[in-house]
Amino acid sequence: MISITQVTKKFGSRTAVDHLSLSVPRGEIFGLLGHNGAGKSTAIGMMLGQVWPTSGEVRVCGFDVTSQRNKALQKVGAIFEAPVFYDYLSGWRNLEILSSYTAPTSRERIREVVDWVGLTGRVESKVRTYSHGMRSRLALAQALLPKPELLILDEPSDGLDPEGIHEMRNTIQRLHRELGLTILLSSHLLNEVEQLCTRIAVLQRGRKVFEGNVADVRAGRGRVTLKTPDFAAAAAVLLGLGLITATSEGKFISLGDGHTTAEVTQALVSSGIAVDGIWQHEQTVEDFYMSLVNSTTVAPDSN
Amino acid sequence: MYFAQLKNELWKLFGKKRTYIGFGAFLLAQTAMLLAFRFTRWQSDFERLLSGNGYLASEFISALTVSVVMLMPQIILLMPLYTTLVGGDLVAKEAEDGTLRMILARPISRFRLLLVKWNAGIIFAAVLVVALGLTALGFARLLFPWGGMFVFAPGQTFSVLSSHDGWLRFAMSHLFLALNASVMLSIAFMFSCFNMKPAAATILALSYLFVNVVMEGIPFFDRYDDWFITHHFRSWLLVFRTPTPWAQIIQSEIILVAVSLTVFIIGWMVFQTRDIKS
Repeated sequence: MISITQVTKKFGSRTAVDHLSLSVPRGEIFGLLGHNGAGKSTAIGMMLGQVWPTSGEVRVCGFDVTSQRNKALQKVGAIFEAPVFYDYLSGWRNLEILSSYTAPTSRERIREVVDWVGLTGRVESKVRTYSHGMRSRLALAQALLPKPELLILDEPSDGLDPEGIHEMRNTIQRLHRELGLTILLSSHLLNEVEQLCTRIAVLQRGRKVFEGNVADVRAGRGRVTLKTPDFAAAAAVLLGLGLITATSEGKFISLGDGHTTAEVTQALVSSGIAVDGIWQHEQTVEDFYMSLVNSTTVAPDSN
Repeated sequence: MYFAQLKNELWKLFGKKRTYIGFGAFLLAQTAMLLAFRFTRWQSDFERLLSGNGYLASEFISALTVSVVMLMPQIILLMPLYTTLVGGDLVAKEAEDGTLRMILARPISRFRLLLVKWNAGIIFAAVLVVALGLTALGFARLLFPWGGMFVFAPGQTFSVLSSHDGWLRFAMSHLFLALNASVMLSIAFMFSCFNMKPAAATILALSYLFVNVVMEGIPFFDRYDDWFITHHFRSWLLVFRTPTPWAQIIQSEIILVAVSLTVFIIGWMVFQTRDIKS
């Protein structure tokens, strides 16, 4: 659904996005992570034809956004942080206005979407009377009106209270489950990303420093916690046998390809080293993200 | 689709209170001027001027005459202010508020978006001028009778018209006034397409008009009158001259239309290359 190839965006002498390549296949919930100013919004702006790339190619729904923007965005909905509307008009009028920029939209379709997002009964009120949560629902409604296949969400939970964040998370899951949408989610809420996304990419200072599956991140890339009275001796044995590839922090080992914790346990016991405990280390996306941004001195993008 | 978008643009424009500042200011100004004309020496001085030129004041101090007297200062002072205020808002306010980003997440070309906005602005300018003319005439009619028209026309000192002829020319002059208002709005619209605050767009447009007025007023530039846009704005008053200098009026109108199109194209070219970010 989204294919970005070697895209660079410069604002004057500052490089906001540097040789970025990404691919979001149909049906995926893809998370875009990064600190403020990492280039997430610029990348999203380029996907929507709002920001012109300095070089590279951005394709959405099979069309080049730069040269075929109208076709590329025909089946795309987008929500930005802090949803803004014409506050002096009703929610309904806002939906009519925004949908008119895509295609003629029937009243029935608007009513259907308003029901779906749970704004029935308030849609005729002026938007200035809406709470932040209701504005978020209206933002979702406007994004859903053109029956999108791809939904781009730029910090959709920004400014929401915990209940609002929970509701937004459930809504995104519903969108994926019930409507089968492909979703690109940019967020600072790593817990949210972990619960929603199937794959993530991490941007740092405009460059992609990681792209991979959330499941792999959780599995800690084969990291295992080993509790033993003599970690150094155990590590030496295991490295010597080729069962592990690395150790860290005096308690973690990284299993070699195809090796299991059972083999490690057997090897240590055979060598007379007691094993108090051994278990697969499961890290959160937050752990992973923090270790990544703390350790990364931006290296050239390998993808 | 174009008309649905235009209709929605008009909803946006006429849905906000800011749009009506101009209408409100015109109403207040007209009321003040009408009362001033009626209850100060203004009317008696005008009567003396008429009788000094051999005309009966009772015939020519009419609703038509007074409405044009009321219109002139408003067109010079207030119309540029309120047309540029709205023109400066059209794109820049949406960019400032963030709604432009919402719109440009949709498959509408930037040219189409600007065209719709510009056309909505032109409709606003026309409505403003028509409302200005009708209220001026309506207010004047409250205190003055329907009758012949006496009007100062450029190049002719003054013009005296029958009530029928005066009414027709009064109506026609508003067509040209609407074009003047559209040009003022278009200049502000062009600045609005740049990456700047709405107030900056309005101020730049007003400054441009002001510089035109100042330079046109300097004797050295007399021979370059045609190069100043404000010179062509005066064509609405030429309608009252007898005989009407149509060639001069049409020439000015063509120049004004060309200026409008030029500033729209400049605005579009700038907007097309802009990056729209939050």
